[in-house]
Amino acid sequence: MRKQAFVSVFLVVVSLAAITLAQSRSSTIKIPFETYTLPNGLTVILAPDSATPTVAVTAWYHVGSKDEMPGRTGFAHLFEHVMFTGAGHTPYGTHDRLTEGVGGSNNGTTSNDRTVYFETVPANYLESALWLEADRMGFLLDTLDIGKLDAQRDVVKNERRQSVDNQPYGLAGEILSGAIYPPSHPYSWPVIGSMKDLTAASEEDVKNFFRVYYAPNNAFLSIAGDFKVADAKTWVLKYFGGIPRGKPITRPSIPQVTLTTETRLVFEDRVQVPRLYIVWPTVGEKSDDRFALSVLDAITAGPRTTRLTKALVYDQQAATSVGTSQDSNEDTGEWQLTITPRPGHSLTELEAAADALLDKLKTEGPTKEEIQRATAGLEFSFVSNLQSNLGKAMTLADGAGIHKNPGYFQTEYQKMLAVTPADVKRVANKYLTKGRVVLSIVPTGKLDQASKPSESKPFRRVEQ
Amino acid sequence: MNHKWRNLTLVLTFTITTIAALAQQTFDRSKIPPPGKPPALRVPAWTKSTLANGAEFIVSEKHDLPLVSFAITFLGGAYQTENPARRGVGSLTASMMNEGTKSRDGEALSSALQLLGSSINVNVGGEGGSIGFQSTTSKFPQTLDILADMLVNPSFPAEALERLRAQRLVALTQAKDQPSSIASRVFPGILYGRAHPFGQNVTEESLKAITRDDVIAFHKAFFQPLRALVTVVGDVNSTSVKATIEKALSAWPKGGEPARFAYPALPSPHPATIFLVDKPGAAQSTFAIGNPGPPRSTPDYYALQVMNTMLGGMFQSRLNANIREEKGYSYGVSSSFAFGKGPGAFRSGGDIVSAKSDVALVEFMKELRGIGGSRPITDEELATAKDSLIQRLPGTFGSVQSVNNAIVTLWTQGLPDNYYQQYAAKITEVRKEDVVRVAKQYIDLDHLTIVIVGDRASIEGPLKATGIAPIALADIEGNLK
Repeated sequence: MRKQAFVSVFLVVVSLAAITLAQSRSSTIKIPFETYTLPNGLTVILAPDSATPTVAVTAWYHVGSKDEMPGRTGFAHLFEHVMFTGAGHTPYGTHDRLTEGVGGSNNGTTSNDRTVYFETVPANYLESALWLEADRMGFLLDTLDIGKLDAQRDVVKNERRQSVDNQPYGLAGEILSGAIYPPSHPYSWPVIGSMKDLTAASEEDVKNFFRVYYAPNNAFLSIAGDFKVADAKTWVLKYFGGIPRGKPITRPSIPQVTLTTETRLVFEDRVQVPRLYIVWPTVGEKSDDRFALSVLDAITAGPRTTRLTKALVYDQQAATSVGTSQDSNEDTGEWQLTITPRPGHSLTELEAAADALLDKLKTEGPTKEEIQRATAGLEFSFVSNLQSNLGKAMTLADGAGIHKNPGYFQTEYQKMLAVTPADVKRVANKYLTKGRVVLSIVPTGKLDQASKPSESKPFRRVEQ
Repeated sequence: MNHKWRNLTLVLTFTITTIAALAQQTFDRSKIPPPGKPPALRVPAWTKSTLANGAEFIVSEKHDLPLVSFAITFLGGAYQTENPARRGVGSLTASMMNEGTKSRDGEALSSALQLLGSSINVNVGGEGGSIGFQSTTSKFPQTLDILADMLVNPSFPAEALERLRAQRLVALTQAKDQPSSIASRVFPGILYGRAHPFGQNVTEESLKAITRDDVIAFHKAFFQPLRALVTVVGDVNSTSVKATIEKALSAWPKGGEPARFAYPALPSPHPATIFLVDKPGAAQSTFAIGNPGPPRSTPDYYALQVMNTMLGGMFQSRLNANIREEKGYSYGVSSSFAFGKGPGAFRSGGDIVSAKSDVALVEFMKELRGIGGSRPITDEELATAKDSLIQRLPGTFGSVQSVNNAIVTLWTQGLPDNYYQQYAAKITEVRKEDVVRVAKQYIDLDHLTIVIVGDRASIEGPLKATGIAPIALADIEGNLK
């Protein structure tokens, strides 16, 4: 992420887009769009809508941290920052001047699987936004030098300090990924990378990375908002049409992960309240089991009627909060449970209580009403997301990039609504098994506050 | 081949033909494409009236999507209503309103709202509060009925109070682990002092002192129609929706009185001082630098907006361009004015890599001084700041929620109905000398409060060596050691 200010807003938009769509009022839950591909391989998606006089432009590249090599982790994200330092015909600062400086906004985001650049501008600035995106797709290397790379390297190291190292519980995600996946697995390292690898990135690394992945045949350009389709087509062709196609890309092979045994870890952090994390490897975007896993997540924790929240936070009052999530990457996924205890209650006690509740759910399955409550809000979420041109552009680009179908959101919505109690029971039994990682984060010097302390191995941080 | 596919073929044919032509064509890529004609400012229309119980009422129709945003906004907040020894009672009361009514327990409420696909948010902040929701058009009446029940008939179960109190105590403990949370508690405490409501934090003691009777009393004093504005925006009919709302709120009788915003005098300013809060081993130092600012009603509002946009309101503003982009000391720094009824703070800062705390502070001081005249404002800088503010406005009426917020802001801040129409002209009027004047007037370099939360062992010496200001040590509650 290039900037922090936008993060929370953006995540709301995207997370709604990720699970949503609806159909009871079919006229309002569609995103009218058209899509075509330029001869150089660039996929273009156009979704005109004049309700608000802005246009959102999304340049979606199919490259993320999984495409990195061990020893060069954090590279895709570091590169995202470099993309804002100017290109052949757009000196540093031009991008901000023609987006934020005209009343719009811009940002970028990198995940394990993809890197997305986006801007929202007043409707009359669409042409310059396309010119900006085309210039950095076609001409970034013309002006790139080690000075620009070094400046952004320092910024990214500060981003890592702010979001990970100086954040209570901030290392949880990296410790868990490292424990679930073997060290060579492309999902085992964090998107932000290690300090050591960030230092090692060379100018030549940047250039090679750009030549392979930032080619039109690896990109999806999605435009949503107040514009004329003919204008957009003319400008897209003018600015992107002459950028040459890149070489074919070899994607890493991403094996599914199953764990046969439980890994137990404890990590001492500068915190005053301990916290328990349990993670099971599951499936990613390409598997339909993720829909039932998402519903399982929605009935397990969240509102006070959900099983673990009701039992642990309300009835037993042993926890202050319980959270669950099914995180779907492109190729694999994880189902995660997080519990923060109330004073006087141990992580050991809470782990046992949570396991008993999950076992009961696995045995009896959820009720129909639980499923209904979990999915009743999807229509509102979807229609609400349509109010944002950026939300629409992102939804279409995600579908095109991951599923080769900008309209994939409709399939996704139908599949979410079709989940049955039997589906949820099946995936709970299939994935929430003994093969999992249990991590306790405890205050420094309080290893005894871990869940089952004698069975939990202290995690030692390798200095990065 | 269906119709859709035929269209696609036409598109492809067009595309390929045109590409052949354009591929030959050369053009100067270094020329910035000029903008088209600016989109017209379309400020939504709204209608004002009064409900039978005395609450003001505004409705604004927006039919592009089947969505509704509903809110009841209360003027005056915790600072006007709370007993200082019971800080946090307002926010706790807001949470307690989700815990059940005379006819529905907390679980029944939660279940009903989930099945409607909606959620009702209650909050009480410093100078105002609200209860509201967004829903699809079809679920609006049922969700409104639940809101009315929560507003008028809360049961405030005693066990819920204890559960929420325990959760908040844990959250307070966790806030003490987070450098940015520490800075956000310490900075206002020092700026306003403990005698001013802006300087009073929620503490363990104040949370523990709150009783169920306090909650009941706060609810009774605060959630009253004579200090409320009811707004509904979206896919509704202005006339019939008023009847629907009157009916739903029929059990909410006239009562209460308008809030008064009388704040005690500010403490006399101290000479500029660095207040250092030790966070041993911290990888970054959190900076909060500023002073009390003017209220929203200041005639200098527009000049301050332009000034702050240049100083720290945008990515390429002076602070971020220098300290993040040029020097690489941070992931992001910024500045802002907390405009409201009272003297909200001017605050600049961000998270700085520990080893650069001293040089970053030097740069902060340089930019705060610079905007007050020592670094001249360029024509382009002024133009960009104004363009950014003016051209953002047409895009801000996109969602039912944002239109609702835009209307509520006018009411809470006492701004005229044509505020948005006049906005561009007011910003355009601001001159360079206005920017310099308000910077000098509202950023008091001689009396700055500089809160730095970081690793004292490594940063105290270098900070002292800058000679910028004397260092006072403070604990994580902001008490001087």
